[in-house]
Amino acid sequence: MIKLRRIGFSYAFLAPSLLLTVVLGIYPIGWAIRYMFFDYKGYGEAKFVGLDNFERLYRDGPFWHSVANTFVYAGGKLILTIPLSLVLAVVLNRAFRGRSALRAIYFMPTIISSSVMAVVFYILFNSYNGILNQYLLKLGLISVPIPWLGPKHAMLTTILIAAWGAVGNYMLLFLAGLQNIPRDVYESSSLDGANRWQQFRYLTLPMLGPVLQIVVMLAIINALKGYESIMVLTDGGPIGKTEVMYLYVYKLFFPTPSASYVPDQQFGYGSAVGFATAVIVGVVTLGYHLLSRRLNRLQ
Amino acid sequence: MKSEAWPSMRTRNSSGRPAAGPWPGRLLLGLFLLVTAVLILFPLVAAFLGSFMTNAEIAAGGKLVPSVWQFANYKEAWVQANFSRFAWNSLFVSAATTVGTLIVASMAAYVVERMKFPGKALFVGLQASTMFVAIGAVVLRPQFQLMVDLNLNTSLWGVILILISSHAYIFFILLSFLQGISRELDEAARIDGCSSAGIYWRIVLPLLRPALGVGALFTFCGAWNEYLRPLVFTLNNPNLQTLTVGLSYLRYGSSAAVQTHYLLAGACLSILPLLAAYLVANKSFMQMTAGSLKG
Repeated sequence: MIKLRRIGFSYAFLAPSLLLTVVLGIYPIGWAIRYMFFDYKGYGEAKFVGLDNFERLYRDGPFWHSVANTFVYAGGKLILTIPLSLVLAVVLNRAFRGRSALRAIYFMPTIISSSVMAVVFYILFNSYNGILNQYLLKLGLISVPIPWLGPKHAMLTTILIAAWGAVGNYMLLFLAGLQNIPRDVYESSSLDGANRWQQFRYLTLPMLGPVLQIVVMLAIINALKGYESIMVLTDGGPIGKTEVMYLYVYKLFFPTPSASYVPDQQFGYGSAVGFATAVIVGVVTLGYHLLSRRLNRLQ
Repeated sequence: MKSEAWPSMRTRNSSGRPAAGPWPGRLLLGLFLLVTAVLILFPLVAAFLGSFMTNAEIAAGGKLVPSVWQFANYKEAWVQANFSRFAWNSLFVSAATTVGTLIVASMAAYVVERMKFPGKALFVGLQASTMFVAIGAVVLRPQFQLMVDLNLNTSLWGVILILISSHAYIFFILLSFLQGISRELDEAARIDGCSSAGIYWRIVLPLLRPALGVGALFTFCGAWNEYLRPLVFTLNNPNLQTLTVGLSYLRYGSSAAVQTHYLLAGACLSILPLLAAYLVANKSFMQMTAGSLKG
């Protein structure tokens, strides 16, 4: 009797969490898995079409184009962010005056909305009367405005902006890992005559190894999934140059103001594309996991 | 590179601090730190100062400090560009999401950590799985449809419920914190005749306070900065837009080019409250990131 009452109480307390998770977290995934096999535009009747959506996916040039863009974007973001945040963390792990102020500055972008910053960066990078170009012109560094958001530079600009928002976050994660390395290994190594670079290469990196791997994994997933800022900044444009795969999925469900690059809303096909993107992220994550395990064994 | 072995001759000073490097290296390092800090701060400073300029002054460019401080920009953005409405909506969504998330997550964490019941492992697995599935915008559509069916799409409660539903992260933070609190107080209270609900309310919640603080900060910031869900829910209802959504609409608007000063003032309205809190308590803000690694 007491046991039954305890179970009843437990489930009563669990109910809000369980209900919300099932209805708003699990059900939508089931919804997507069902409609992957349907032709459904959001109105009218849903028609079962089997694997047609996946066949269409296979032939969908713009989608694979957006996948390629995603890898360029994610790769660029990682190449900029990971080394820079690691170096900042190693430097800030030492005690010196102004350290906490610098740390607070570097971390600042993390607390700011990426969509709001995208609006600010739009004003900064605007080709015609953008604030940045005006400065560069006044300082005499350039003679004609750089079309930061034009077809040629737009991807680079979005990568720079993504790195701006991410460096502080990963720096802090690395710092948390560095603080677990005991101080005395550095003391004894420097008594043995190791210089800064040797300490970094043969002490810090190996001892940070596990943390490094987790953080890089997090960074890969985040970089592949991010599209909010791109959506506000360029909406995938110009001419699809910054279209990333998650943005492509979004547009199949909610056509955006400049969605000319993507066809109208298509819930069935969109579910299939969404599923494919999740598989792509999963495969990359798994591949990275296996690679880092093999590297571990080689060491 | 053998010739560069000379740094090894350096000695450590007695305080245990690493000895300073040779001065060119130190200078270079200092410069690197400074340049990085400037690059991080520049967009924020430019946005803040630009929000006090006239539109013409921003367009002319090349100036950091406004020649005349246009405080009226904020007043006009607040009144004419409807930012008072947006700010209120943001505050409402963030506050309700924070309270709701903390209640839902702490109740679940309490019974999972302190009670025995069948299906517990399943529940924990369910929570963990929601954090790792990434099918992107697909889930927004059924969530939206569901709220239409429940008639919750005409208020912000739909957005709030959806934001509360992703409480797994806070649940795990509270759970791990609760695991560190001994059960002695619970048991003493039970012997004194306190009910399970009473123990949650009178004992567990007060003990959880530090973790609830970090969780509140994390949830509030997340909801305040949230863009996609409020966007999807207010596509046809501008009066429900939050600061993030209202701002992006202004940016898309055909007149955006002429209203740069409004855009900047609006962006600052969204950024400054969090930034002010951050300047006071940046250690607590950093806890939420660092905690995610340890947890």
